[in-house]
Amino acid sequence: MLEAREFPPIFLCPVCKAPQLITSKYASTFLFIYQPPKSCQEVLLGITGKDFTLIAASKAAMRGATILKASDDKTRQLNKHTLMAFSGEAGDTVQFAEYIQANAQLYSMRNEADLSPSAMANFVRRELASSLRSRKPYMVNLLLGGVDPITDKPSLHWLDYLAALAPVPYAAHGYAQYYCLSILDKHHQPDIDLERGLELLRLCTDELKRRLPIDFKGVLVKVVTKDGIREIDYDDSKQVQSA
Amino acid sequence: MSSPFSINGGACVAMVGKDCVAIACDLRLGLQSLTVSNNFPKIFPYGDVYLGLTGLATDVATVSDLLRYKVNLYRLREERAISPQTLANLVSSSLYERRFGPFFVSPVIAGINHTTGKPFICGFDSIGCIDFAKDFIVSGTASDQLFGTCEGLWEPDLAPEDLFETISQALLNAVDRDALSGWGAHVYIIEKDKVTKRLLKGRQD
Amino acid sequence: MSRRYDSRTTIFSPEGRLYQVEYALEAISHAGTALGILAKDGIVLAAERKVTSKLLEQDTSAEKLNMICAVAGMTADANILINYARQAAQRYLLTFNEDIPCEQLVRRLCDLKQGYTQHGGLRPFGVSFIYAGYDPQRQFQLYQSNPSGNYGGWKATSVGANNASAQSLLKQDYKEDCDLKEACGMAVKVLSKTMDSTKLSSEKIEFATVGKTKDGKIYHHLWGAEEITALLKEHDLAKGEDAEMG
Repeated sequence: MLEAREFPPIFLCPVCKAPQLITSKYASTFLFIYQPPKSCQEVLLGITGKDFTLIAASKAAMRGATILKASDDKTRQLNKHTLMAFSGEAGDTVQFAEYIQANAQLYSMRNEADLSPSAMANFVRRELASSLRSRKPYMVNLLLGGVDPITDKPSLHWLDYLAALAPVPYAAHGYAQYYCLSILDKHHQPDIDLERGLELLRLCTDELKRRLPIDFKGVLVKVVTKDGIREIDYDDSKQVQSA
Repeated sequence: MSSPFSINGGACVAMVGKDCVAIACDLRLGLQSLTVSNNFPKIFPYGDVYLGLTGLATDVATVSDLLRYKVNLYRLREERAISPQTLANLVSSSLYERRFGPFFVSPVIAGINHTTGKPFICGFDSIGCIDFAKDFIVSGTASDQLFGTCEGLWEPDLAPEDLFETISQALLNAVDRDALSGWGAHVYIIEKDKVTKRLLKGRQD
Repeated sequence: MSRRYDSRTTIFSPEGRLYQVEYALEAISHAGTALGILAKDGIVLAAERKVTSKLLEQDTSAEKLNMICAVAGMTADANILINYARQAAQRYLLTFNEDIPCEQLVRRLCDLKQGYTQHGGLRPFGVSFIYAGYDPQRQFQLYQSNPSGNYGGWKATSVGANNASAQSLLKQDYKEDCDLKEACGMAVKVLSKTMDSTKLSSEKIEFATVGKTKDGKIYHHLWGAEEITALLKEHDLAKGEDAEMG
């Protein structure tokens, strides 16, 4: 047995302490590559209810400590009722998301039917998992929200850049996890309506404004229902007093 | 903390009883100390043989899917279910294929061989070395604790109901002493002609 | 005339025909009859078992891939195709963690078959299939494909020897909203009329059904000899009813 065998260490992001598991060009040795800590500051949130899935993503496009854009859209629509939100290394994110988007649309065209959200999530997971053990893996964290076209059941899938996949009732990525998951643990119920979902989202974004050191420029909110995906007007003007 | 085996956390245990075997796992999926999901089962059925996988969550999914592919094609080709021994060798060779870039998982197998009627359990390291056992197999971040609880609670020739109680207590008490696993458990009791699956609530904190 | 054009599958004759493909179709029409009937709560496949020509092959697993298929033609060719289909189905399951939709699986197989009508130097697969399957989107489905790579969805169809007469019998007898039990009855009746042998027995025919259990699970079932005998008995006894149905 190999119990005591030493595996190459996993390095931690110096800022957020997230594990950095990277393959080298030999694909077999795990090496250290520094993941820019900024993706921890990006906010991705997902909440499901009885007939919808809400996805919120911060609007700030950051590079280092600089905000380059305050109206960034970190989501891509994959098909009529599946939406993907992404954060992570600049470049990788949009590249990967649009690759997935193109594949999803190709599938819809070829088969005159859309992939279900869970099938989509599994497809994304496989792509990300094979990328993980390649020379240059995609550093992308994802949330996949959708409504099943046949059963009309809403779903939310959480994926990190290691391609760990989990179906969850609510989820977050980056620092938002630490603040929002506990709020949602307390207040979330599986059968909530959209109005209540937005109330919970407000609780979360207020807390993030209160606690995060960098302004994330508010969130872009989209909702997936059986009728499709639409953007929701979300008032970000409110000032939240820090504790 | 620095090992890929303990990023996501999780625990799994298998035990032999009298004409029965049991396998159980916890339900946590985490990112180090943060819990992401409390419904992430780590036991996968392949016919009536069961495979538990702990370790890096991405590899748990990859390995379980890959084996489902191989086992399904095996069953169609051979027109019979796979035996636990055969599955053990399949797992072993599939893991060793990646000797120099391993899947970070510690698999556990439990099942009853339908030709001989004998219970079978075994464990593996991440590159496919098989660990045959007559009593119990543990794996995951709570494996140290599980060794303790199993050593203390297991005895030979337990009947199915007693085996269920033993494996459940062994797992629940082990994961309570591990920060990276817990949040409920799945327990399978496998007898010759029936499999019972039970969900344990466990501590939710 | 045909000499000049039929030795290669890829060459059209002046009349615009591919002789090798037509010969393959001809070969299949010597094989035993196989038929499939779509009912509102399931599908039945029935086939004549000839010593060298007919086999009911189980395609993919009974539980795992919601399809079974009946084969008419060369069994050796069929084995290659079935193996290909199984791998395609399992590959889909691996990427999407979902069973492959029936039509996609049929199409994969037909794309392969089509290749042999176009690339030179090879002969087409000498098999026709009838596929029965279920997927959540389009529920129960029945397909048929032939060596040219054409496929289509059917309510009731047949391949192999006497398929023309079987087809017209099916057309006569098919009822839009029949259930699985009625469909099985129709299947034995049609088989009894199209087969050469006057007496049917469980050695001479094969049956398979796809259906839904009470708790909504899809099952695939290849019938045992006793079940077939029981069905035959039932319909020998129920001759009067059969006549009414016709």
